[in-house]
Amino acid sequence: MSLQEALPVQAADEARVSALRRLTQRLSVTNTIALIILSLITLAVGALFIWIIIYLIVEGFTTLITPTFWGTTEAGIAPQIFNTFYILILTEIILVPVSLAGAIYLVEYSPQGRFIDVIHFAAETLSGVPSLVLGMFGFLVFAVYAHMGISRLAGALTLLCLNFPLALRLFEQALQSVPNDLREGALALGATKWRAIRTVVLPTALPVIITGVILTAGKIIGESAALIFTMGLFNPGNVFTLNPLIPSNTLTTWLYYLKGPGAGTTGLTSAQETAVAAGISAVLIILLLLINLSARAIGRFIQLRTTAA
Amino acid sequence: MQVAESAQQAQHSQRSRLFDRIMSVIFLICAVLLVAIILSVIFFIASQSWQVFVQGGVGFFQYYFGSFWDPTGASGSPAYGAGGLIIGSVVTTVLAMVIVVPFAIGTAVFFTEAAPQWVIRILQPLIEVFTGIPSVVIGFLGLVTIIPVVQKISAPITGNLPTGGYGWATAILVLVIMVLPTTLSISIDSLRAVPDSVREASLALGSTRWQMMWRAVIPACAASLGTAVVLGFTRAIGEALAVSLVLAGAQIPAWPWSLAVFFQPNVNITQQIAQNFQETAGTAQYAYWTLAFTLLVITLIFVSISRFLSSRSVYK
Repeated sequence: MSLQEALPVQAADEARVSALRRLTQRLSVTNTIALIILSLITLAVGALFIWIIIYLIVEGFTTLITPTFWGTTEAGIAPQIFNTFYILILTEIILVPVSLAGAIYLVEYSPQGRFIDVIHFAAETLSGVPSLVLGMFGFLVFAVYAHMGISRLAGALTLLCLNFPLALRLFEQALQSVPNDLREGALALGATKWRAIRTVVLPTALPVIITGVILTAGKIIGESAALIFTMGLFNPGNVFTLNPLIPSNTLTTWLYYLKGPGAGTTGLTSAQETAVAAGISAVLIILLLLINLSARAIGRFIQLRTTAA
Repeated sequence: MQVAESAQQAQHSQRSRLFDRIMSVIFLICAVLLVAIILSVIFFIASQSWQVFVQGGVGFFQYYFGSFWDPTGASGSPAYGAGGLIIGSVVTTVLAMVIVVPFAIGTAVFFTEAAPQWVIRILQPLIEVFTGIPSVVIGFLGLVTIIPVVQKISAPITGNLPTGGYGWATAILVLVIMVLPTTLSISIDSLRAVPDSVREASLALGSTRWQMMWRAVIPACAASLGTAVVLGFTRAIGEALAVSLVLAGAQIPAWPWSLAVFFQPNVNITQQIAQNFQETAGTAQYAYWTLAFTLLVITLIFVSISRFLSSRSVYK
């Protein structure tokens, strides 16, 4: 009797066990397939990135070793390199103090709450504005209304508007990375707030601030759409001056002009235009890699210092 | 003697307190400048853009639903039909994001949940470099590598059009390269914000790794992944010069469309602005301002959506 009763139970158990086994098997197969697909997607993305970098550098290499490429003729980019670094420095000179001051207010002075939210909302909105639209704004306000004309200064001010949100966020992070004990220590010794910031907070945050400056530099060097209406696409006779009121092109806008609206009008053959464009692309990629490497090196330096302390 | 000294000290501390006050006002002005910039961007572009309807006398309906865009009147009389440009922007943006989303989120999930250390060490700096890659460089890459391939593939469809290869298809691929790194890096940030306890709880209940990702981690940060996608849209619709280089069209092709519409020179909003804005004046220029304002409104909507989503996300 008991044996007869036990038998169907055992059969049911076996059925359940085999169902469970099938379930685990199915789950593990799904798991394997999903992980394989995910790793293939990742591989594709990584391969795409690596291929693009290698392709651009290889494609530009023959141009990079041509001496005329570094000269001042139509096929040379010496004026564009000068302009790019000129506009980079001019923009940073305006951008760093203004956005650092804004960040200092938000981190050190402003009470938490509504005011900070408003500024952050404004920053998010401004960073969403397409750079082309910001370029049109810069053209209207700086070049036309403020009578700067299409000039380096108008370009730099437009780049200020474009990079303000990013710089503000980076500098805010830099200031927030300073431990509060240091501030309190300085204030307890009787320093005014500004003195505490100047002598304690800013020096401590300096490496992170420098990383921020480097990251904005990458964005400024690579920007083009905001500049085509504010700085123009052409150079005057002599670009090697510090005059901020002349129009000028940069590496990016010259690349755009060569392969876009100006193709065939530059006095170069189509093959030469492509070669110069490839060279400019390679230069830009190498600059970007250098910027990234130096930002990382500083980051590692900071980590080393904080772990050593 | 002592009295004089302490008076001097008091004066000194008063002066430094005054200085402190002045500095804080300067800092405040710099912070408020940001708000002033965004407000004046909206104000000035809006103030230029309604002129096309007032001074130019163009009908609102005619502007947004017309399909022939020729504000300078190069082919006879000026025409202000921006509908085709808007369709161009919408089609390229949406299709690019359809490709970007699975790749970005798939890579982000693998990157944060399953990738071995060496993959992270290679991929992390690559993503950082590519989020800042100049758009003209990608446009150039599109010109020299993507267009010839697309042209060859699409030759049977377009009937060996000499300008085949330019157009929406290439623009979509260029946009994918431009937007993928941004979407990817924000997705990675939002996945990393999910605390490990969520993963451990799921694994402890007997999930496989895939179940853990799909049923626990992704739902936990769905809202912030949404933010990543929306910001991708913002970036894609505003992308200008890379797209401009590979679109190279003047008008949207006439209806009815076949598949060939993707493989022939075409238009979108940013390409037309980048190409023609500077050479225009008067009503024609106002027409371009209206395009810019339309773009601005679209991106403002996207930013609001992303802000709403990030306010809904649990882990930040």
